[in-house]
Amino acid sequence: MHKIADVEIQHDIMVANSKLAGRNQKILDDADVFSVDVLGAIGSGKTSLIETLIQKMDHNIGVIAGDVISKYDAGRFEKYDIPVVGLNTGKECHLDAHLVKHAFGDLPLDSIDLLFIENVGNLICPVDFDLGSHIRMVVISVSEGDDTVEKHPLIFQNADLVVINKVDIADAVGADQDKMVADVKILNPDVKVIKSSLKTGQGLDEIISSLETFMKQ
Amino acid sequence: MHELSMADAMVKTVLDVAEKNDATEVLEVTIEIGKLTMLNPEQLKFLLDVLVENTLLEGAEINIVEVPVEINCNECEYTGAANMDDSDHYLAIVECPECGERNVEITAGRECNVKNIKIEKEEGDEDA
Repeated sequence: MHKIADVEIQHDIMVANSKLAGRNQKILDDADVFSVDVLGAIGSGKTSLIETLIQKMDHNIGVIAGDVISKYDAGRFEKYDIPVVGLNTGKECHLDAHLVKHAFGDLPLDSIDLLFIENVGNLICPVDFDLGSHIRMVVISVSEGDDTVEKHPLIFQNADLVVINKVDIADAVGADQDKMVADVKILNPDVKVIKSSLKTGQGLDEIISSLETFMKQ
Repeated sequence: MHELSMADAMVKTVLDVAEKNDATEVLEVTIEIGKLTMLNPEQLKFLLDVLVENTLLEGAEINIVEVPVEINCNECEYTGAANMDDSDHYLAIVECPECGERNVEITAGRECNVKNIKIEKEEGDEDA
């Protein structure tokens, strides 16, 4: 004889990731590490910005370089003689808390006070996956088009700091940089939005002072 | 596109529970997906149908239930269902229905929950 049974599962994959993220943040807090999840589209300047911050900021910086194939970005960071872990996602379009937890094991967390986690270039999928970082910094560039913010509202709604990069070429690509700032402010009125250019140095001091302020909070 | 890994995790979760409950067959699976979760239900359904082949889940009815968005408004303190502008694309924009502001905290609508399953098992195995 067979019988039919209902079995309650209630296993939410997002909740499971959030729990792991909470544990990640505890690990970071215990080691006095402030962590920034760096999100943004492919080619927005995430890697270049982190390279610049490594050189300009007076901190013991470490980097988790996430990418579909991570060795290229990891190689760029290693040149600065800092702790770096490349995190290959393989086919995945985002980092998750579980992957990041594994990377912690390969980092000397006790000798790091600022950890950048460069997410996979993507404005969509990473939104759902909290990594346990203290803040989320979203980096976009004018060359992605000035409708980028409107088209990807959730990532900006969840951001703690927004950088609009490559503003030196805004006119050349026909992008209205002020519209991009205004679009972010509609979604997230309290977030700091910084217009930057890594070529001219515009906005860099502001990005650094914003990060320093977050670190003191 | 992370539908494949999410579908794979769902199938593993269901198979694990089904085996622990001595199921001979899984008849039905109910999955809750938030309206704002970055998953396309159509793609998810397709991948689940592929992944369940030759498992206890093969032939099971897979119900994907969409969870509506709820918010706490940071401007006017409204709590409840959100106004959604999803006319153009799947990635909906969330607004407070009271004041129209988008400065809101999302309290529901981002789920990816394997809710329950209906299984067939041998009579007498209910204590398993």
